[in-house]
Amino acid sequence: MSDGFKVLYYVNQFFGQIGGEDKAGMKPEFHSEKIGPALGFEQLLKGEGKVVGTIICGDNYFNENKEESLDYILNLVKNEAPDIFVAGPAFNAGRYGVACAEISRAVAEELNIPVVTGMYIENPGLDTCKQVAYVVSTSDNAGGMRKALPAMANITYKLGKGMEIGSPEEEGYIARGMRKTIIVEKRGSLRAVEMLIKRLKGEEFETEMPMPVFDVVQPAPAIKDLSKATIALCTSGGIVPAGNPDRIQSASAQKWGKYDVSKRDALNAPDFYTTHGGYDPVYANEIPDRVAPLDILKELQKEGYIGKVHEFFYTTTGTGTSVSNAVKFGTEIGKELKEAGVDGVILTST
Amino acid sequence: MKLEIGRIYIKDIQLGNETSVKNGVLTVDKTSLIAKLKEDDRIKDVKIDIAKPGDKVRIIPVKDVIEPRVKISGGNNGFPGVTAKPAQCGEGRTHVLYGAAIVTVGDIVGFQEGVIDMWGEGAKWTPFSQTYNLTVDINVVDGIDPHTHEETVRLAGLRAAEFVGQAGKDITPDEVLTYEMGSIFEESNKYPNLPKVLYAEMMITQGLLHDTYIYGVNAQTILPALLHANEELDNAVISGNCVAACDKITTYQHQNNSTILDLYAQHGKEINFMGCIMVPEHTTLAGKMRASDYTRKLVKMLGADAVVVSEEGYGNPDSDLLIICKKCEKEGVKTVLITDECAGRDGMSQPLADTAAEAVAVVSGGNVSHVVTLPPADKVIGNAEAIAVLAGGWEGALLEDGSLQCELNAVIGSTSEIGYHNVTCRLY
Amino acid sequence: MIITNNPLVAEKYENVLWTDGSVEKTLIIVRDFIHQGYELVSHPLAASLRMLFSPYRSIIINNKKEKLNFEHAQIIEDSIIKYKKHMDLRKTDEKTRDDYKKIDLLLLEAALSEEKGKWY
Repeated sequence: MSDGFKVLYYVNQFFGQIGGEDKAGMKPEFHSEKIGPALGFEQLLKGEGKVVGTIICGDNYFNENKEESLDYILNLVKNEAPDIFVAGPAFNAGRYGVACAEISRAVAEELNIPVVTGMYIENPGLDTCKQVAYVVSTSDNAGGMRKALPAMANITYKLGKGMEIGSPEEEGYIARGMRKTIIVEKRGSLRAVEMLIKRLKGEEFETEMPMPVFDVVQPAPAIKDLSKATIALCTSGGIVPAGNPDRIQSASAQKWGKYDVSKRDALNAPDFYTTHGGYDPVYANEIPDRVAPLDILKELQKEGYIGKVHEFFYTTTGTGTSVSNAVKFGTEIGKELKEAGVDGVILTST
Repeated sequence: MKLEIGRIYIKDIQLGNETSVKNGVLTVDKTSLIAKLKEDDRIKDVKIDIAKPGDKVRIIPVKDVIEPRVKISGGNNGFPGVTAKPAQCGEGRTHVLYGAAIVTVGDIVGFQEGVIDMWGEGAKWTPFSQTYNLTVDINVVDGIDPHTHEETVRLAGLRAAEFVGQAGKDITPDEVLTYEMGSIFEESNKYPNLPKVLYAEMMITQGLLHDTYIYGVNAQTILPALLHANEELDNAVISGNCVAACDKITTYQHQNNSTILDLYAQHGKEINFMGCIMVPEHTTLAGKMRASDYTRKLVKMLGADAVVVSEEGYGNPDSDLLIICKKCEKEGVKTVLITDECAGRDGMSQPLADTAAEAVAVVSGGNVSHVVTLPPADKVIGNAEAIAVLAGGWEGALLEDGSLQCELNAVIGSTSEIGYHNVTCRLY
Repeated sequence: MIITNNPLVAEKYENVLWTDGSVEKTLIIVRDFIHQGYELVSHPLAASLRMLFSPYRSIIINNKKEKLNFEHAQIIEDSIIKYKKHMDLRKTDEKTRDDYKKIDLLLLEAALSEEKGKWY
């Protein structure tokens, strides 16, 4: 007799019933029993699937030792060879969400195992994994567990049974961003006329092609006298001091750093290198100024073309970084620069 | 203007010694049809065949699809300005062999595509798998230039439709549909409280293989023109467009323009449908500005509250669509757009280019890059070599079992931008 | 001026910038001109997906203006994105390249005929 499909579950130290913040530094562990949400989860699989174990990892540990944790967890998953991997739900917990997201993405992309997780729509981890995992839309706190688990279990069940997953509205997951081509009952012209009539009546209507909305940023007024202006240097190219003292992530950055460059003429190797994981680093590591040209700025300062180069250089990595984090970084950095009386910024990307 | 369309239901098709409709069976006299078409001495050879719904038959490369019809009263028979002397379209009575279609085949250029599968997976994606098709494969004499070649095939298709349509002359239709509309003043007096709606139909008008004709006039040369809704339903507009298989408007789709029909159905109920603006799609930016300005002007002159805008093609016409949308919305005229999209093979690619905040109401005819797998056919009408062209361009398109993977892009009428088909995209 | 990688166009017309490269390269050269203040006369893309697979493309640009035309810059940038979106996955259709040459020339001529008798 078959045991049905196999599910492997991931939770953090809190939902894994190890402890709270004080245990957030724990290393990942594998338990062959069902712990926390994994316990109730199996009962929701209609007897067709089995949770074969729970992986527990501390949120801080994961976020501070991402590559190591991922390696370890991926190995565990490989050994257990589940049919489906389930993580969370993480609700609106930031570190937990990022952990669920990173692991989900790695499992889905590297091991090709379908993944189900759950998050609040604003969780910073969402953008990292929603394209490759089914992320059930949850409330912003653990009070939503009772609603989230059945939805996650239902998708898991369908994946396990090889059934087709319905639309985001039907199944309760956050749209993956896939434009699925389907055949519908009404022809296009009829849908257009119905949409027209709704629009004319002032009723609600739903476009079939939501246009992506871009932030419109008003350009700042031109700097009138560059020779008196203070110019700051900022990059998303991942240039950091050797050793990456603030441990800025090589992808999906969670933070930015600032470094005093007032006494330097350039961002030269080996004092600086790139931690960016999204491009070939050879040329950037040879001469980091190629990514963030402090050398030229300093020359321009000497020539008197610009007034002054701001004493701090700001940096983060742009690859895979969620829009919400990028907005947050930009706002924080912008505020500091403004307070420091910086007139203009050279922003380089890769 | 009053037009009666008498539908004669066609339930089967065969070749024979006369051209007639008996008990819903359309018989076509092949020999006479060939002789008739060969009156054009540019034609060397004609092959006639039939393809019925469910047959394991593939037709490729399709040039145009035309509905066979005959004029009973009012106007001239055939396509006025093209196969007949100029006359007013949209009045009187026209009989239609409903369910039959003339499909012209023949490659004018090697890269021409356009497939109709009459069965299985492929049939789902094209509306012309549901019609009883008479295929007309035209070979032209040697040494003919591409313009003449295209014209020869275009005219042959229209003349074949005219020839076959004669079979409906003395038949009592199974159903008579009446399309009647007075002047815009009369209609506005009749329905003072209904919102006034226009239909702006964009047409590819860019040169050889990319043309549309209205009463025989190459629409590349026109300013946007106002048509009574009946005119297009009665043979005024024909297609000379041999590319954009998935989203071109075949002559059949002009004759049965679903946007016109669906707007007509609401006329006097929810809306006051005032007519169609035929908008040329130019290749030049100046042409695009001129046509969109002129369209906006007509919309304003006629006092429309809303306009449905449909596109033809993909690429540069996307610009026209959004420019027209922006200009109309800016004037306070509500728009609904019909287009198709390219979301990549896996649907994960987002339409980054060509977006406008004003385009709030858009109907999608589906993803042109959606991949479909078409099993091998028992019989190929047309040029089997064209299948390689259709598959060409990417690895792994021809599978071991002879199945063919292609993008919807190659299937006739699959992502219709006049909303003729039932395909769309949803966010998953 | 016509920017083209189509030898038929280069043979037939004067005032041609022959790019001797891919369509993508041709589009990028056009973009560089637009950034310098030239204006587009014809749209960078054709009217169908099938024509995107053409190995040849000819685009007409106008004289240099004092100011950059932002709309045209947007059009050429969007066109390059759109072109790459399709062609990163697909190869140009080489088997029928001679037909594409001819049609590209004919479409160019249709655009040129629209521009006759204008001075702006």
